[in-house]
Amino acid sequence: MPVSACRPKASAHTSTALPTLVPPGAETSPLRGRDLPPERCPAGMIKGPTSLGVQPTSTEDDGMDGAPTVQPPAIVVERLRKDYGGLRAVDGVSFQVRRGEIYALLGPNGAGKTTTVEILEGHRHRTSGSVQVLGFDPGGGGRRFRERIGIVLQSGGVDAELTVREMVALYASFYARPRDVAATIEQAGLAGKRRVRVRALSGGQLRRLDLALALVGDPELLFLDEPTTGFDPNARRDAWEMIAGLRHGGTTILLTSHYLDEVQHLADRVGVMSHGHLVEESTPDALGGRDIAGTVVSFRLPTALPAAELPAGPWDLPDDRDGEVTMHTDEPTRVLFTLTRWAVGHGVELEGLTVARPSLEDAYLRITDDASAGGRSGR
Amino acid sequence: MAADAARRSRPGPLLALGQIRYQLMLLLRSPLGFFITLIVPLLLLISLNVVHPPTAASMPGGLRYAQFLTPAVSAFCLLNACYVTTVTSMVLAREEGILKRLRGTPLPAWTYFCGRSGSALVTSLVSIGIIIATALVFFHVSIIWRAMGYFAAAAALGMMCFFLLGVAVTTAVPKTDAALPIAYGTVLPLAFISDVFFPAEHAPHWLYDLASAFPVAPVARAMEAAFNPATHSWPMPATGLLVVLGWSAAATAVIALRFRWEPSPIQ
Repeated sequence: MPVSACRPKASAHTSTALPTLVPPGAETSPLRGRDLPPERCPAGMIKGPTSLGVQPTSTEDDGMDGAPTVQPPAIVVERLRKDYGGLRAVDGVSFQVRRGEIYALLGPNGAGKTTTVEILEGHRHRTSGSVQVLGFDPGGGGRRFRERIGIVLQSGGVDAELTVREMVALYASFYARPRDVAATIEQAGLAGKRRVRVRALSGGQLRRLDLALALVGDPELLFLDEPTTGFDPNARRDAWEMIAGLRHGGTTILLTSHYLDEVQHLADRVGVMSHGHLVEESTPDALGGRDIAGTVVSFRLPTALPAAELPAGPWDLPDDRDGEVTMHTDEPTRVLFTLTRWAVGHGVELEGLTVARPSLEDAYLRITDDASAGGRSGR
Repeated sequence: MAADAARRSRPGPLLALGQIRYQLMLLLRSPLGFFITLIVPLLLLISLNVVHPPTAASMPGGLRYAQFLTPAVSAFCLLNACYVTTVTSMVLAREEGILKRLRGTPLPAWTYFCGRSGSALVTSLVSIGIIIATALVFFHVSIIWRAMGYFAAAAALGMMCFFLLGVAVTTAVPKTDAALPIAYGTVLPLAFISDVFFPAEHAPHWLYDLASAFPVAPVARAMEAAFNPATHSWPMPATGLLVVLGWSAAATAVIALRFRWEPSPIQ
């Protein structure tokens, strides 16, 4: 399978291709608008950073010989370490983010996510390791580097007494090739608030303004540090819609979060951080191996038939308690087929038949608990 | 590379002008900043002059009190516009995360400082203009035209020094609440011993010498001398100039070593 087939969002980034941040009829459920890429990379292919060398990420004609342009990853982090005095906040983290991808760093508070992101933004210096962001070392990238990135901070950073329009126009004036101010405000869903002072905006509107400020410079790479922490459900939904909208513009996004549903909803890939380590890298669906292992099939055994009557199948021995049968299997399709064919053949109903995967939360807790236990025993 | 050419950054001087405009706009919309820079000195000028002005006989050289107070309050204007406002608004900008956000954009750091100092310059000029105009109209102060160059030069030295000190002091202010008390807590005692409200002619020698070690006194005394008809030459002694330049250099060193764009860590 060619690697490029895994990159459905590899559309060329252009300054005119503005994403629709708020789709018309924005009352629809955000989950409906999940906008999954049509083809997802198989889990095995993106499990580790080693499989992610330089990849063709754009089919854009380079204008010379018609060959596709080969773009290096947007972010390459190798053995990154950051110490604060005696405390090691980030310890040997390596990962890569492809162009056009939404990559999430997931982890509990204090895991080292924000420190990692701030090093990539150029806000902090690293202790050791190597970091490349859009081909720059962010520590010394200077203006040329900052022309090409957009940063949404965890909180605040806006002048309360300026209006929305003044704020966005001010930030647009810093950039060589800004987006149109009015269009950016409109796409952030703040068209009606253009002349309103920042102090009068609600939490959700402030977040929209944050995003407008980060986007008005037309960045190739956007950093979103816990974009919805402390939000009410409506504001979170709005933020998710905006971020999902950026996907279509081809913007690369590095996101941090400690919300599992957020990562599930938005990210193409996720790196789980715990105690300064990157403990797993996966797609949200495959986190903790939950895409392939441990599907649970359960039902109540018809009273007329004992468990011994169950057909042979690719499952462990049924756990028969009061007629309640629970099976753990790696082949849910075959199990279901065998079971239902048997039940239909015997003319019985399998009451309470359910098929469930371990939840993302289960997988995540297991990963971070393992990491904590490992971290503690290692010290 | 074509993409890089398209991303050629905007010229710094243009960004610096934009920053001056931005800072002035913020100041005009902040009631506290407006009050500090424009209203407080005016209130001082009027109240000190009207309530209980010392008689000319008690003034050094028999000078009218208004003739002394006008340049003295002008020096106070500089302290407000360049020092107090800088401390309060820069600490606020840092703690609100505004500085950090700006640092993540292509805006060069020096243009931000240009914006800050430029807006301090403009507000200084406006507030001194209001003070002198009020004094001319209501207190019949006379302008000594031949000494106005001295007045401007002393004021320029003061602006530079007070602005640098203001930025340097922000590095020692941990949070927004502390900015105004620290700013006024440092300025007011200095102003009182540095001839800004009353001439220090009758002050004890040690107090006069103490004041002379800080930059407010040399600047205020030179500006006051420029309103005295007896002044015929550059009124700031070399030691005074050294004190002002020394404090400016020390403040610059503190800024270079300690200035930060990030908010204070949450306690």
